[in-house]
Amino acid sequence: MLTLSHISKSFGATLALDDVSFDAAAGEVHALLGENGAGKSTLVAIAAGRMPADRGESRVVSRERTPYSPDTSDDSRPTTRLSLVAQHFTSIPAFTVAENIALAAGWQESGKALGVRARETIARIGLPLDAEAVVETLSVQLRQRLEIVKAMASDPQILLLDEPTAVLAPREVTELLAMVRAFAARGGAVVFISHKLPEVFAVADRVTVLRQGRVTLTGRVAEQTPRSLALAMIGEAPAQPERVAVTPGGTRVHADGLLLRPERGGTPVGPITMECMAGEIVGIAAIEGNGQRELLRAMAGLPEITRVDGTLRVSGAVGFVPEDRTTEGIIPEFSLTENFVLGRVRERWMDWGLLAADCDLALAEYDVRGGNAASAASALSGGNQQKLIFARVLSRQPDVLVAEDPTRGLDLHAAAAIHARLRSAAANGAAVIVHSSDLDEILDLADRVLVMANGKLVTVPAGASRDVVGDAMLGLPTP
Amino acid sequence: MIELALISGFAAASVRVATPLLLAAIGETITEKSGVLNLGIEGAMLAGALAAAVGAISLGPLGGVAFAVAAGMATSAIFAAVAVGARADQIITGTAVTLGMTGLTGLGARLAFGDAGAGLTIPTLPVLPIPGLAAIPVIGPAFFSQSVMSYVAFAAIAWATWLLFRTRWGLEVRAAGESAAAARAMGVPVTRRRVVATVIGGAFAGLAGATLVLSQVGTFTEKMTAGRGFIAIAIVVLGRWHPIGAGLAALLFGAATALQYTFQASGSAVPYQLFQALPYLLALAVLAVAVGREKGPAGLAK
Repeated sequence: MLTLSHISKSFGATLALDDVSFDAAAGEVHALLGENGAGKSTLVAIAAGRMPADRGESRVVSRERTPYSPDTSDDSRPTTRLSLVAQHFTSIPAFTVAENIALAAGWQESGKALGVRARETIARIGLPLDAEAVVETLSVQLRQRLEIVKAMASDPQILLLDEPTAVLAPREVTELLAMVRAFAARGGAVVFISHKLPEVFAVADRVTVLRQGRVTLTGRVAEQTPRSLALAMIGEAPAQPERVAVTPGGTRVHADGLLLRPERGGTPVGPITMECMAGEIVGIAAIEGNGQRELLRAMAGLPEITRVDGTLRVSGAVGFVPEDRTTEGIIPEFSLTENFVLGRVRERWMDWGLLAADCDLALAEYDVRGGNAASAASALSGGNQQKLIFARVLSRQPDVLVAEDPTRGLDLHAAAAIHARLRSAAANGAAVIVHSSDLDEILDLADRVLVMANGKLVTVPAGASRDVVGDAMLGLPTP
Repeated sequence: MIELALISGFAAASVRVATPLLLAAIGETITEKSGVLNLGIEGAMLAGALAAAVGAISLGPLGGVAFAVAAGMATSAIFAAVAVGARADQIITGTAVTLGMTGLTGLGARLAFGDAGAGLTIPTLPVLPIPGLAAIPVIGPAFFSQSVMSYVAFAAIAWATWLLFRTRWGLEVRAAGESAAAARAMGVPVTRRRVVATVIGGAFAGLAGATLVLSQVGTFTEKMTAGRGFIAIAIVVLGRWHPIGAGLAALLFGAATALQYTFQASGSAVPYQLFQALPYLLALAVLAVAVGREKGPAGLAK
């Protein structure tokens, strides 16, 4: 149904895609695997006609595709309907779910008729959503669901999904994968982008792996092993450091009956009773919007969170790694030195020569690549920005390290480097509290796992299985 | 020789006219670097002018300067409390402060000086020629034979540059201006930095008002700032949010105004109102063309 042959595409000096061929047939799910920056999103953008290729051609159902831009009229759209669910949300926050679906699908209805059609469509697709809800009031999971409903509303024959499971809990992932299988069973073609191997094995018929813009593997999923796919994705697998058993020291963070008021108001988070010792990594597993943000930010001492009741004692210096690198972690317009120094140096007068030398040393130590002390932070890749943030935070040798989703959007190599930093911080005696949207990461990284659901801490037994923790995250009763 | 005298006079007038603009623009540069757009500096300048007149009559010129700085700071503190503290819209708050101060200073002037106005009884700041340097042709009259306030303004360029780029406070102010969220996450007290940067901006606006009264006009009249606060905001943009840039931009505006005087004096047939409009037209042109999409602090007025 979809055939891309010998596609090449470069951005400036970077070759994003190098002679890539890819196809998806009716009735099959074809997974596209690869690390961040491997070219997956570029490839589907070209397939969807959102971006022209430099070389090669893209065909849909053996009909030559006319390139179109989002603002060309309906007439020039291909007769084979193709829908792309992009990685970034494309809904208008101030509009309702129904209005957003209408915009995406090109419906003419308004008012009551629109509500009726939206409800029918949502029911047909089988991913429940409140048609009248205003999008900005929805959780991230529901927004992701809306993106998929929008794509399905125009009744496509080809569905391109760009990392649709990144923000979902295990149970929601299962739901989505079932929907994808059902869509293929009705004769649709699906391109499913992911970098999570278990999902690929669960849903896909065929798999193509991209590495640095080239196809390194393509074949039937049944013939692959996790090891063969990982090898194709990253070449040599990064070595996982041995887990060193640490004996926790004294209590560094102690919360007792802690009640917190969320930034935007609403019901307080808590009560939370927990502690974290020096030398241990406490992992907080939670789906976005379940109170972990308030808890972590309160521990980091950020002013926007106010305590309603209970006690929170944090002893020693706190280092904080915020979840959103570009809006909170760094100031993109500032140089690496300025970013490195902010919140770190206590001197009142700035000797930039000396500070730049300090920064260069730290860049080397933390393996930050792609810039020197004078470069703008916006020039760094996401992984290197995150390493810079860790360089800043850890060079102060904090007694408590609070990290929000520290590897979100990072490729495996960068994520492994960040994991090593978190482990060594704990080994050096810091109390580390880390939240991640990736359950597997938490289970792998943490000495102790705490689950937050609906603003409360849920007790999970030590060594609980992935499914038990996943259900607890959704607020379901634990066995 | 006549030409040289003409050029010298023009250069000296340019710097003289530029001085209040420069002072206000340096203050506003510091304020805007912190992410605050204070349209109330026109009002703070006006408050400074009135306070300078009142202070100078009772305590002499230096007393006038002190009163003006205090009045400028107080006016901007009101703005900061509403726009930064209570997070009201900066554009609306700034406009309200300027309009409010226009009315209040008119009322204040009548209470202080009666219907006759302040007259020319206000003691003024002296012109201080720097020995030796003042004798250099053109440059001497322009830069070394000016009122005390001009020297203060030159020094302020260096001081503000040092403050913004060589101190930790300046780094934190600039961080607050680029990204309040990031600054907060790194432990910068964003609101405090912004309030202080705004009040410093007000102090400079007050100085600018004092300059008008104490070293240029010699009296206070209602609405005497005549939009100079807004010109200063244009200068901040043209100066690319840098004190040195603001210095050059202020000189350009000073020159445009001085040119106006020269044209008027030449007895040309063109209506003088056209020449009076010159600096303002220049401001519009600068904002539209020369600066284009020049980027300020990313978090400005947010």
